Amino acid sequence: MDLNFSTADEEYRQRLRTWLKENVGGGGSANAVMKKAEEDSGSAKDPLAGARAWPRKLHDAGYVGLPWPKEYGGQDASFTEQVICAEEMARVRTPPLINTIGLSIIGPTLVQHGTEEQKKRFLPRILRADDLWCQGFSEPEAGSDLASLRCRAEIDAEGFVVNGQKVWTSLAFLSDWMFLLVRTDPDAPKREGISYLLLDMKTPGVSVRPLRNAAGGQHFNEVFLDDVRIPRENLVGELNGGWPIARSSLDHERSGLSGVIALEETLGRLWRMAGQLKRGAKDALEDPSTRRALAQHWIEIEGLRHLGYRTLSDQIAGKPPGAGSSVGKLFASELRQEMTRTALRIEGPLGPVAKRSPHVVDRGRWHAAYFDALAHSIGGGTSEIMRNVIAEKVLGLPRSQDD
Amino acid sequence: MEFNLSEEQEALHEMARDFLSERWPLDRSRELLDARPAVIDEDVWQEIVEMGWLGVAASEEAGGIGGDVMTAAVLCEEAGRGVLPGPFESSLIAAIAIERSGDQALCKELLPDLIAGKTRVSVAIEEPGGLYGPETVATEARETAEGWLLSGTKILVPEGNEAEKLLVAARTPNGVGLVCVAADAEGVTIHRMDRMDAQSCAEVVFANAKIDAGTVLGGADRAQTLLREIYDIWTVLLAADLLGSAEASLDLTRQYASERVQFGRPIGTFQAVSHRLADILVNVEIGRSLLYGACLALDEGNDNAAPLVSAAKASLSETAVAAAETALQIHGGVGFSWEYGVHLHLRRSRCNAALLGDADHHRDRIAAHMDESWVAPVKA
Repeated sequence: MDLNFSTADEEYRQRLRTWLKENVGGGGSANAVMKKAEEDSGSAKDPLAGARAWPRKLHDAGYVGLPWPKEYGGQDASFTEQVICAEEMARVRTPPLINTIGLSIIGPTLVQHGTEEQKKRFLPRILRADDLWCQGFSEPEAGSDLASLRCRAEIDAEGFVVNGQKVWTSLAFLSDWMFLLVRTDPDAPKREGISYLLLDMKTPGVSVRPLRNAAGGQHFNEVFLDDVRIPRENLVGELNGGWPIARSSLDHERSGLSGVIALEETLGRLWRMAGQLKRGAKDALEDPSTRRALAQHWIEIEGLRHLGYRTLSDQIAGKPPGAGSSVGKLFASELRQEMTRTALRIEGPLGPVAKRSPHVVDRGRWHAAYFDALAHSIGGGTSEIMRNVIAEKVLGLPRSQDD
Repeated sequence: MEFNLSEEQEALHEMARDFLSERWPLDRSRELLDARPAVIDEDVWQEIVEMGWLGVAASEEAGGIGGDVMTAAVLCEEAGRGVLPGPFESSLIAAIAIERSGDQALCKELLPDLIAGKTRVSVAIEEPGGLYGPETVATEARETAEGWLLSGTKILVPEGNEAEKLLVAARTPNGVGLVCVAADAEGVTIHRMDRMDAQSCAEVVFANAKIDAGTVLGGADRAQTLLREIYDIWTVLLAADLLGSAEASLDLTRQYASERVQFGRPIGTFQAVSHRLADILVNVEIGRSLLYGACLALDEGNDNAAPLVSAAKASLSETAVAAAETALQIHGGVGFSWEYGVHLHLRRSRCNAALLGDADHHRDRIAAHMDESWVAPVKA
């Protein structure tokens, strides 16, 4: 066993650190970093200019699209370089990437399943945040039971004509493209009649209605598709062969080690917050149940980190990730929620006090984090679906559904 | 970057598993529950000695195999899976303690005999009073005109009745360290204790008992760090045993839930059953990851070793007990029957979860580590 990285990897880390120091600095706000990137790029008149400039800057420096082939703008980077990159960015809290759905879901899917033409056309534009993507999977009648989706596509000489509705579609209102699942053979068994398509959101017949989420934010949307035409060349994989590709998209979504540093950072904040509060007559950090709750989070974060090392080690040895990623996703999303619950518990009577109210603790950060964390056990496969996957694919128990 | 067992460790893992499943069936452990204490069959013990398991972490000079803590943990995991009775694990930790003490006499005379199964040595740390950790040891060793004398009471000493020598954690003028005492020395009284899993263990009372030649293991300088190190290694080996037990409970239940049919279908198709097992699988994987992290940190002498050891022990103590309780519940009436033996894992994991610090003790240790390294801001 050896957790050390090679000299070449450590040099890579040093170069990246230097770059991040120059371009992110210590403790600069996300807005400031994006503003600087926008100024540096000189692009004007695009309301998302700042948000696009930051990933572009990262791409120019070679720090996004790491695993993708060089010919499509990627870096052909090793697993260890990917891990180092994710770690270092989390450490300095780089701003979020507006093209993250493209980078983490549809990009890797196209690398694996796309045609040569699709790769050349889409991958470089994803990397440069020229195109923003959204995921058209869930429907009003197809959430966890995704394969029962109803959105249908008729096939004619030019391609597909799509009718139906998608829902909970994150960032659809500012996306240029959507990758979506449609039913192309209503008579086939439900998993065998689904195709995977790429849709230009400016196509006539596409309408987007933003939905407000439980946290109060506007992030996800309903998307209505009325006689929307999609050309034949925008089919990914085989006709009616979309289901296994969708499954691999979800695996890409359930990523590993990068979340650990963010969790560790959150725990540090939680510890410092507790250091300023009282519990009964004592300092909160002297209260045994508070101390044990925080120590338990430390244990869980270390567990997740070392699980990530095992997965990485397997990847380096050439073993496929597979259903094991469900273990990390389930554990991480539950842990994230539990940490925000701990935060509200430590705040005691001040826990429910809202942002900008007098007496608010930590500017209401935990209040918001609590709501945000609730989405993590729903999006990208609910915790219940993760448990089904683990029971069937990892433990080998008989299938629980009848189909 | 390689964070998994090496090929040699994998081979040892498989060999140990095959050996125990063939030579030590669960039925045998169940029969021994009525024997109290459970004593391993002599022929199986001899085979274990011949395979060199007691010296797995001892140097080749001393007759060992020269493995690290991780390699020792591989064997303890299998001992847990196979519900193997002592004195394998107590001998293993005694051998590690003797070698790491660097004490010439013990290393030359006692260690080779211990590894060869000719003499038995155990380690006595726990005391009555419900406190955990070397810091709380009350047993005292003091130097007098007649030499070093030891006074105090130890409990749950594994194979305390059968051991010829005892390594005892005691307060000394140089901090809390380990001293070596002959079990038949004057002033040593041994009473059998009984545990839920029938493993042999004892209360040992020292009343001005004479300490063997030499003084405190590791000498004045290293006494305290040596004991701390042995405590951490033993704790991690218990965590490995708990991991094996948790996996065994999960395996038994996975099989049963796939085969047992109720309402016309295998019960494993019901999510009330399958989701509980999925949660255990997740915690087993987290526990295994923490165990590897702790072993690696100990083997590398990493500063972060102590909190990782605590993390592995806290996590696996709770996971193994939960796995065994879930196994018993999902097996239904069969699970609660004496004959089936699911309860063997519950008994073993309950015992190991409570030894050398339960989950709360180890969480407290981690919180203390956070106090030191995660400085809270000065209050306004």
